[in-house]
Amino acid sequence: MSSSGGGSSSKPRSASSQPSETSSKRKRGVFQKELQHMMYGFGDDPNPLPESVALMEDIVVEYVTELVHKAQDIGSQRGKLSVEDFLYLIRKDLPKLNRCTELLSMNEELKQARKVFESDEEKLRKVFEVDEPVE
Amino acid sequence: MKQSKDPFEAAFEEQEDSPPESPANASVDAEQNPNPSIAAHNSQSHPQDQLQLPHNDNAKKGASQFTPGSGSGNASTSGPFTATAGGSGAGTGMKSKEEEEEEEEENMDVELGKFPSSGDPDKMAKMQAILSQFTEEQMSRYESFRRAGFQKSNMKRLLASITGTQKISVPMTIVVSGIAKMFVGEVVETARIVMQERKESGPIRPCHLREAYRRLKLEGKVFKRPMARLFR
Repeated sequence: MSSSGGGSSSKPRSASSQPSETSSKRKRGVFQKELQHMMYGFGDDPNPLPESVALMEDIVVEYVTELVHKAQDIGSQRGKLSVEDFLYLIRKDLPKLNRCTELLSMNEELKQARKVFESDEEKLRKVFEVDEPVE
Repeated sequence: MKQSKDPFEAAFEEQEDSPPESPANASVDAEQNPNPSIAAHNSQSHPQDQLQLPHNDNAKKGASQFTPGSGSGNASTSGPFTATAGGSGAGTGMKSKEEEEEEEEENMDVELGKFPSSGDPDKMAKMQAILSQFTEEQMSRYESFRRAGFQKSNMKRLLASITGTQKISVPMTIVVSGIAKMFVGEVVETARIVMQERKESGPIRPCHLREAYRRLKLEGKVFKRPMARLFR
């Protein structure tokens, strides 16, 4: 079974040398590896069909595109996109909203933890620097 | 980072004052203690994947680096466990998704000693009880569920191409990746329901996905472009 699209997408398969910044052509298979694991985790076969993965990727990209466009409409007054625009868009969808707030708070914790970690590292480095001339 | 009891987990045991786990899960006792320390990372969804695969580039990836940090950070910040209200709220939201998945999926993989629910001893105990009873296939599926996620770099590139090369902040990729993953979950679960109704089995086929997508659209879970847009 060729994986050249399930027939639903009309985007051509671009060569791998295609620059990734162009928005007219999209590289196919950008998310393929991760999507396979994800679909398995959510209940699909351990080896999902390639055309299913390709279709799912198209669906996801379309979803994200719509999401971003809507967020741009909302946040256009501010002139740039912000995270709150997305949070506003999914406010009706409780599981997603909770998940996003959780992710964001985790991110904050990690940042702080890393800061502490780095400051500890700094202290250690200073200790070593003091030791060196003594040796 | 942790498949089974790790030196890291052992270190966590000493550092964290974790509430004693219910003795019901004697087999996972060893893993239960480190769990509360990881509890901060919150439950089932992606973050857990982060912890296990340090090389995973997900938005949730913070978790894998969190562990060493939280040990040292714990002394100063009294409890990454009770992160924020969002954490406990997320726990509730997650629980509903977990139940939803349990009903609709034949297999649920559970990671022993992986992330239990965020900071709630009851939820953690429940998670442990569930996790300990998973079969091999369920375990591996849960592991995939936890670990899988979109690459931050790919998502960043996609977002930049959609917005027209605006600057995309890291939290934004994290949020969008999380939303996208949950959306994938919804579509796949609905596709499984469709397959059950049609009494088919095997891998999910594109026709199921399309039917599932159509149903989600009807329910309004997928954004629809409004017919008339006055201002672009």
